[in-house]
Formats: sequence, C-alpha cells, structure tokens
Amino acid sequence: MKSFFKYSVTLVSTLLFSASLYAHHSAAQFDFRNTVLVEGKVMEARFANPHMRLVLEVTDDARGTRDIEFEGHSRNNMRRQGLMPDMFTEGDTVTIRIAPMRNGNDGGYVTALRTPDGDEIGRVTGAD
Amino acid sequence: MQKKVPQFRVSTCLGLIVGILFFSIPVSAADKPDFSGSWTTYRGSGGAGAFAAPAGEIKLTAEAMKARQDFISVTEGTNHGAGNSCVGYGMPASVLGSGGYPMELIQRPEQLFSIYEAHNEIRRIYIGDEAEDPSTFFPERNGYSKAHWEGDRLIVETSRLKNQVDSRYPHSNQATIREEYYFDTPLEDGTRVLAAELTMIDPLWLEEPFVTTKRWQELSDYHVMTYECSEPLWLDEMEMLYKEAGLEMVQE
Repeated sequence: MKSFFKYSVTLVSTLLFSASLYAHHSAAQFDFRNTVLVEGKVMEARFANPHMRLVLEVTDDARGTRDIEFEGHSRNNMRRQGLMPDMFTEGDTVTIRIAPMRNGNDGGYVTALRTPDGDEIGRVTGAD
Repeated sequence: MQKKVPQFRVSTCLGLIVGILFFSIPVSAADKPDFSGSWTTYRGSGGAGAFAAPAGEIKLTAEAMKARQDFISVTEGTNHGAGNSCVGYGMPASVLGSGGYPMELIQRPEQLFSIYEAHNEIRRIYIGDEAEDPSTFFPERNGYSKAHWEGDRLIVETSRLKNQVDSRYPHSNQATIREEYYFDTPLEDGTRVLAAELTMIDPLWLEEPFVTTKRWQELSDYHVMTYECSEPLWLDEMEMLYKEAGLEMVQE
C-alpha cells in the first residue's frame, strides 16, 4: 500500500508539474537556467521539424578543436523567435547562446544568436 | 382524355421549392457562429506570455497508472517520444495543448476542420447529418468527431480513440470526449476569444471525468505554418543512397 501511494504521488506529480511532457522529448538534460555563449564555425545548419540541428566547429583550451552538435526549436518556432537559416550560413563564424548539457558533455540547446553588435536574437526558455 | 397540366404552375412550384431549399441552408448556417480563423493559446490583453496547460486534474485508475508508468520508465530522460517520431499529439492533447503551437479552424456548414500547426495534425469534425456511424471507422489518435449545434454552441463528441499512454492525458480506447465550443468575452481591443469546455470520460482508465476549459485568442495577422517533419529522415536516406552510388545529391 505504501509503495502504491508513493507510486501514485510520483505519477500525479509527473502529470501535473512536468511541463516537459508537452515538449517533443525530455528537456531535463539541458540547463536553461545557466546559459552560456559558444562561438564556432557553422559546419551544418538544418532547420527542420521537430528540431533544428546545428553543428559548429568549436575550439577551446580544455578540449581543443572538434565539431559539436546542438539542438534547437522546431523550424516553425525558430522562425517565431526571429531565427532564420540565412543567419547560419556554412563557413561563417557565429556566436550562439545555449542551454548546456547538465552532464558537462559537449552540446546543448540553442536559445539565441548573438549578433556582432552584441544584441541577441531569440529568447528560448525551454525545449519545444 | 389526358388532363393538361399548366406548365407555368409546375415551373412556379419547382422554383418555389428550389428557392426555399437554396435559401434555407445559408440562412441556418449564417445563424451560427463562424469559428474560422487562426488562434493561439489565450494570454489576455498583455500579449505574449508563458504557455500554460489548461487546469484540471486527471485521476487515473491503477490500470492506467501502470500503463503510464511503464511508458515513462522506458522513455524518461531519453529523446524518445511521439513528437520526435513526427507523430501528432492525439485527443485530447491536440486540442488542449499541441505543444503551444497555433491552431487554424476552417468552418463549413457541415464540417469544422481543426488544423493544429504542430505535426500538421488535422481533425475533421462532422456537423449534423454529415456525421456517419463512428463504429464504421478505424480507431485513431484523434478519434472520430461528430457535432451538433445547441444554440450558439457547437457540441463535439469524439469516440473511436486508441489506448494512449504517450500523452499528458492518458486514456483507453473506451474513452469519449465532449467539447463545447463558444465565443467567450472578447479582449478589450475586440480580439475574439474562443473557448472549449472539455469533458473526457473513460470507464477503464479514469477514476472520474476529466473536466477542463481551453481558451484561445485570435491571431488576426497570422498564417498558421505548415509543419514538415519526416522530410529529414527521407533526406538522410537519400543521402546514404547517393553516397553509396557515388553520385552528387542536389535535392535539399
């Protein structure tokens, strides 16, 4: 009985409070409260549904140069954020803001694009 | 001796009948609210705001909890999910949330089309005599919906659903859903507000009816977009075929 109660509480909590259930998949792996900037060369940018895929060639002291794949909103929601494919032309260097992986691995969820004058386009606060 | 029927009387009667039929249909349809338009989740006069799911607690039976928990246990923390496989939400999640994406309604006297932007999910709601016997159709994630008018309210009854555990609103294939659509009080600037009172009954998976109300406000200057989802899978497949054949792929 005790385990059933625990089981029920867990389930109801999940149903009531897990906003991520509305998303296409779990967003728990991304840390949207501690976003960071990443600069890199665009290797691939696929604006697609249900999620965009962005691959940047990134170099840093800790891990050297490598290709990192990022995820983002659906292309419909990217457009609503003001983010369009021509802002991610292959070969260009861009700076993006991401929700990093909680486990510290490379990758993350694109929340904005930083323009050369420091403005940011997009204000994503959670995965779609 | 055959009696001659005056031609003018026959044509006059036919004309009257046709006229009555022709004009009676548009008049009755025109009497009803037209819900056609692009709609987004109600946010009030303030405009943009965080998306919130409609209120209402869903109380599952033990059987449903087990089914739901099994699903969570194999998908939680992963990228596995119906949406990631380009599968639509299904009722009632399609009408209550659809990921917070906009919705387009197109109304004809005999049919209402609900087009949810996410996954191009479409519901065809048949009004009045247009509806057929739901039991003659295959069960679907969005079921079969028939509707009738009660005054200015469109009452939609949906059945022929499937067992669905990959939803915020799990239900068995015995579930039925009643929606009641009507225009609510408009915003201060006159923007139309649409409401749907929803009740889901499920003798197998719900301890009690799930009741909630969803509201939308009209997007007067917005076109709901298409949502192509499975194309990337096909492009990947094409790319592999071209690569194996040593050919250059020009499709994008």
